[in-house]
Amino acid sequence: MARNVSRGFRPFALLSSKFAIIGAMIILVLWLGSAFAFDSQSVFLPGETSDGHVLFEASCKSCHEGFKPVSNDTCNRCHEAEMAKDIHGAKKFRDPRWAELRENIDVLTCTACHQEHVHMFSRGVNLPPDLCMACHQGVIDGDLASHDGFEPDGCWTGGCHNFHDHRSISTAFLRENLDQPWMLPKPKLPERVVTTKLDTAPKADLSQEFLGGGI
Amino acid sequence: MRIRDKDKGIRRYLSVIFSFMIFFLPIFPQVAIADNVSQAQLQKIEQQWQTSAHALAEVNCSSCHQNEETKAFMAKPTEESCKSCHENSVDTFLLGKHGIRTLEGMSPLTPAMAHLPMKDGSLDKQMNCNTCHNVHTVNTYQASVDSCLTCHSDRHSLNYKNSPHANIFQEIGTLPRPNQNSVTCATCHLPREVSGDKVLVNHNNTYTLKPRDRMAKEVCMNCHGLEHAFNSIFDDELVEANFARPPTQKLPTFKLVRDHEKKRSRSLP
Repeated sequence: MARNVSRGFRPFALLSSKFAIIGAMIILVLWLGSAFAFDSQSVFLPGETSDGHVLFEASCKSCHEGFKPVSNDTCNRCHEAEMAKDIHGAKKFRDPRWAELRENIDVLTCTACHQEHVHMFSRGVNLPPDLCMACHQGVIDGDLASHDGFEPDGCWTGGCHNFHDHRSISTAFLRENLDQPWMLPKPKLPERVVTTKLDTAPKADLSQEFLGGGI
Repeated sequence: MRIRDKDKGIRRYLSVIFSFMIFFLPIFPQVAIADNVSQAQLQKIEQQWQTSAHALAEVNCSSCHQNEETKAFMAKPTEESCKSCHENSVDTFLLGKHGIRTLEGMSPLTPAMAHLPMKDGSLDKQMNCNTCHNVHTVNTYQASVDSCLTCHSDRHSLNYKNSPHANIFQEIGTLPRPNQNSVTCATCHLPREVSGDKVLVNHNNTYTLKPRDRMAKEVCMNCHGLEHAFNSIFDDELVEANFARPPTQKLPTFKLVRDHEKKRSRSLP
C-alpha cells in the first residue's frame, strides 16, 4: 500500500519540481532580459553605489564598457576639473624618486581608492581612513614634531587634508593668510557684465507657431 | 468557430503584452507633452523677452525655437539650444548632480530622486536650464536664490533668508543680476570664475560643495579671511544655520601653524 502511494506520488513530485525549476529559470531569464531590453539595469547592481554616483547608477555604460575594468579615462570624463592640479598625480609618481611608493598604494589608478558598489568610508573612498599611513606614517611618529601623537585615521576624515588638492592646507598657504581680518578689505568676487548690440528690441520673428503647442 | 478561437488567442496574446507594458511603464522615459500656449501668454512672454538681454543681443524666438539645420519649430528647446551660446554653463551643469542624468542619457533629475529634503510641491520638476532660469526675462536674480528654494528645503537652505548674506542681498539686490557684493546661493554653489577676459558661472553645483576646504579657498576667501572661513565652514551647526552668527570654534590647525612659525623664527639666525 505504502509502495503504491510512493509510486503514485514520486513521478508527480518530480514533474512538479522540474516544472518549478524550468518555470523559475524562464521567469529569471525573462526578468533579466526585459530589464536589459528596457534599459532598467539597476537590477544588475552588485552593491550600494556611492553618494556621488547614485543618481545615474542604472546607467552601467556610463562607467563600464562591457566587462572591462574601469579605467582612469572613464573617471576623467567627468572629474577632469577636480583633478587638474592633483598633487598625488602622474607628474609626481612618474618621477623615479617617488615611483617606488606606488607599491604601497597604486595612487595613479583611481579605482585603487575609489572602488564602486562596495562600502565607502567617506568621499567615495573605499580604503580604510588610515590609508595615508601607507606612506606618511612618519608624520605622526616623529618626522614632523608638529603632528606627533595624531590619530592615523584623522588626516582627511577630520576635514584637514585633501589627498588630491593640497592648495588650501599647505603650510605656505596657511602661513601667508594667518591673522587676516574676518572681512577682507575688498571682495574679490567678479562682476558679470553683459554687453548687448542693440538699444531697442527687434521684432519677434516667430508667433503663430507657438499657438499650436505641438512640435 | 475556429476564427473565434484564433481571435481569443490573439486577444489573450495582446492582453499579455499589454499587462507587460503596464508593468514596465515606469521604466519608459517620460514623454514631454507640449502645453498649449494661449495668445495672452504669448504676449506676456514677448513683453518679457523685449526687455531682456537676449532681445538686445539679437537672440530672437527662432534662435532657440527653431532647429538650426532643419528649421523645424521646437516648442520646448532643450539645453542643446542654450549650449550654442552658453557652452561653458551647459557643460558644467551636466557634470553636477543637477545635470548628470541628462548627460548620461537618462531622464532628467527630479527632486523626487534627491536624498536631501525637498519641497513636496516640487517633486516632479525636471531639471533643465529652464527649471531655474526664466529664459525669456534672462533675469539671473531669480535663479540665484528663489529658484533654489523652490525645491530645496533642508535647514541650510531654509536658513538662508535669516542669514547676514541674505540681508546684504536684500539691501543691494539689483536687477537683472546680483552684483559683486551680493551673496546668494549661487555665489557659493555656482560661483563666478574669471576665464581670460570673460566671467563664467560654474554650473557644476557639486564642484565647490566638497571637500569643504575647496569651498573655503575658492569661495569664502573671496571676501573673508582664512581663519574666519575655515572656523565657519568646518562647524556643522553653523553651516546648518547658514552662517547666522560669527564662528566660535578655533581650529587646532592655526595653532599648529603658529607654533611652527615660532620655531622657524627662533631657528633663523
